[in-house]
Amino acid sequence: MKHQLFDTNVHIATGGRTFNNDGEVLVFIHGSGQSHLTWILQSRYFAYRGYQVLAPDFPGHGLSGGTPLDSIEAMADWIIALLDSLDVNAACLVGHSQGCLVTIDAAARYPDRVARVGLIAGALAIPVNDHLLSLSDKALSKAIQAMISWGHGPMGHMHDNTQPGHSFLGFGNQLMAANNQNALKNDLIACNKYKNGEDSASKIQQPALCILAEKDKMTPLKFGQQMANTLIRGQVTVIESAGHMLPAEFPNEVNTALRNFLNETDKS
Amino acid sequence: MSGDYKFDTLSLHAGHVPDERHGSRAVPIHQTTSYVFKDTEHAAALYNQELGGHLYTRISNPTIAVLEQRIAALEGAVAATATASGMAALATALLVLCSQGDHIVASSRMYGANINLLENTLPRFGITTSFIDPNDLAGIENAIQPNTKVIFGEVIGNPGLDIMDVEAIAKIAASAGIPLMLDCTFNTPWLLKPLELGANLIIHSLTKWIGGHGVAIGGVVVDGGNFDWGQNDKFSNIAGPHYAMDGINFYEEFGPAAFTAKFRAEGMYNFGPSLSPTNAFHILQGMETLSLRMQCHMDNTAKMLEFLVGHDAVAWVRHPSLPDHPGHELAKRMMPRGAGSIIVFGLKGGRDAGRAFIESVELASHLANVGDAKTLVIHPASTTHSHISAEAMVEGGLSDDMIRISVGLEDFTDIKADFELGFLAAAKKLKLKE
Repeated sequence: MKHQLFDTNVHIATGGRTFNNDGEVLVFIHGSGQSHLTWILQSRYFAYRGYQVLAPDFPGHGLSGGTPLDSIEAMADWIIALLDSLDVNAACLVGHSQGCLVTIDAAARYPDRVARVGLIAGALAIPVNDHLLSLSDKALSKAIQAMISWGHGPMGHMHDNTQPGHSFLGFGNQLMAANNQNALKNDLIACNKYKNGEDSASKIQQPALCILAEKDKMTPLKFGQQMANTLIRGQVTVIESAGHMLPAEFPNEVNTALRNFLNETDKS
Repeated sequence: MSGDYKFDTLSLHAGHVPDERHGSRAVPIHQTTSYVFKDTEHAAALYNQELGGHLYTRISNPTIAVLEQRIAALEGAVAATATASGMAALATALLVLCSQGDHIVASSRMYGANINLLENTLPRFGITTSFIDPNDLAGIENAIQPNTKVIFGEVIGNPGLDIMDVEAIAKIAASAGIPLMLDCTFNTPWLLKPLELGANLIIHSLTKWIGGHGVAIGGVVVDGGNFDWGQNDKFSNIAGPHYAMDGINFYEEFGPAAFTAKFRAEGMYNFGPSLSPTNAFHILQGMETLSLRMQCHMDNTAKMLEFLVGHDAVAWVRHPSLPDHPGHELAKRMMPRGAGSIIVFGLKGGRDAGRAFIESVELASHLANVGDAKTLVIHPASTTHSHISAEAMVEGGLSDDMIRISVGLEDFTDIKADFELGFLAAAKKLKLKE
């Protein structure tokens, strides 16, 4: 759906259903240089299982207008503002990669607005090496190719896709290339400078599920487990053979783990 | 995995990981029409595109999906959808892109069936085409109308061997807000990956070099994912609500794979141009050796050109790697590994000498195919292009004496000896006439 927030036209995928703030709201928060398309196989799946789904494109990403936000805190504030603008009191936030930092920050600072937490391929900090930062500024297509290559595990590189005929690498490259030129650079800088992950995560009282990838090269498994250990009510599911882009690579496993978590945990 | 797999590795492996239960190393043939749903929720989810997976082989199939994913990997595409033939791929792609009242700009130098479809069949459904010389860039640009939905052509024209300037025409298409779709049958991704030069959609007849063995007909539509279907109001069938699935908007829902989603949901669903799983398996066997075969095709083509150009019986020879070909420099730049293994030539003595030649060769097969591992010969004017008008023949750069060779993988000394026999027969025919 199209939505206006802070004078910016925002695109929000709702999984093919009309959004209704009466039900339980799931907000899917994309990672660096990504968009709502990270969640193709989650948004529709949960929208048709009784959840009210919001998978927004941050400003300057996907089909949203505006310029990219410059810090994780600003992104967390933006998500809460989005909930305000849609009259949503509380939602379950589900982040991927950078989206995990946003989710952690929002859950810690706005505990009344975040009912439950899903953290997919995340860590308490996501430092970015200078080479990738430089590429994102001066050679964007190379930065995108590097991230798509590192971001996918063995199944991705073997093009073994649950969506018949699709290539993970080809799709990932085009998804990222469609964003605002500065989107990836801004996102990587925001990740690099965010230092509150551990402090914020240790304050989160809400039930939290960490879905981690065994072959994750971008937020390696041991850092994901550290994140889970820091959360007061953290649970962990590790998906074997998966790379960082596991919502696309292993959608059925991600959806099952998240659905079970949502079914089993209370909302308080 | 230390980096992205290279072309030869992808040709062997892409799209397939042995299943845990059986461990079959070769791609299994899933010769089935249908797939057992786990429960009613699973069935509904597959129909509603909430999950990836297969529900009916008209739409998708596990063996065919391996082939599609392998092609997508080799082309650097977001997705590919296989069809029963190259013509099924082209016709279905155009019917997904165009509606009544729409217009196409197409190369005038193409395969006879491609021209027939655009010139004679699609106008019956209100879709018209302007045919333009593929070398006339200004002509292509000027032919674009407000209702034009696509520019279409063959990278290496069949059989005239005209070369399209992919990068230049892609820029024309992009500035007009329409996609460039190319038939890349003659070049294969081993010679050229047109998506890297800005093309948006690719058609292959998989029957030809990609299969390479002449045992299975197949085609594919490759989606580059590099065209913004929502940039204007020309493509509301892709960037607007679909008639089913609660009005799904493929552009918003699938982003770079929007065309493929529409192609599968409408093209495969409603027209049903499905490939047989067994044919997909056969084509996959061919793909495993694509690099090796293409290198040998190029080597033998170079030897054949040297042989023909220096032969007394030959009146003329055309191939993009010859310096007198108008597309020579362009072909060298775009396809440094070679410009395909089709050669056309004429014999002294014209059409009658050509007929004698074709009827006398023994190793080379006289048949209506190209890209086989075996050397093939044909007379286009009386066969593959016999259904197009005399004007279109001239417009397409075809002559009555033209013989088309698809250079195969035999030991070249044997092909050469066979052609010498044919030339002898042609010379006798010429003498008898005198």
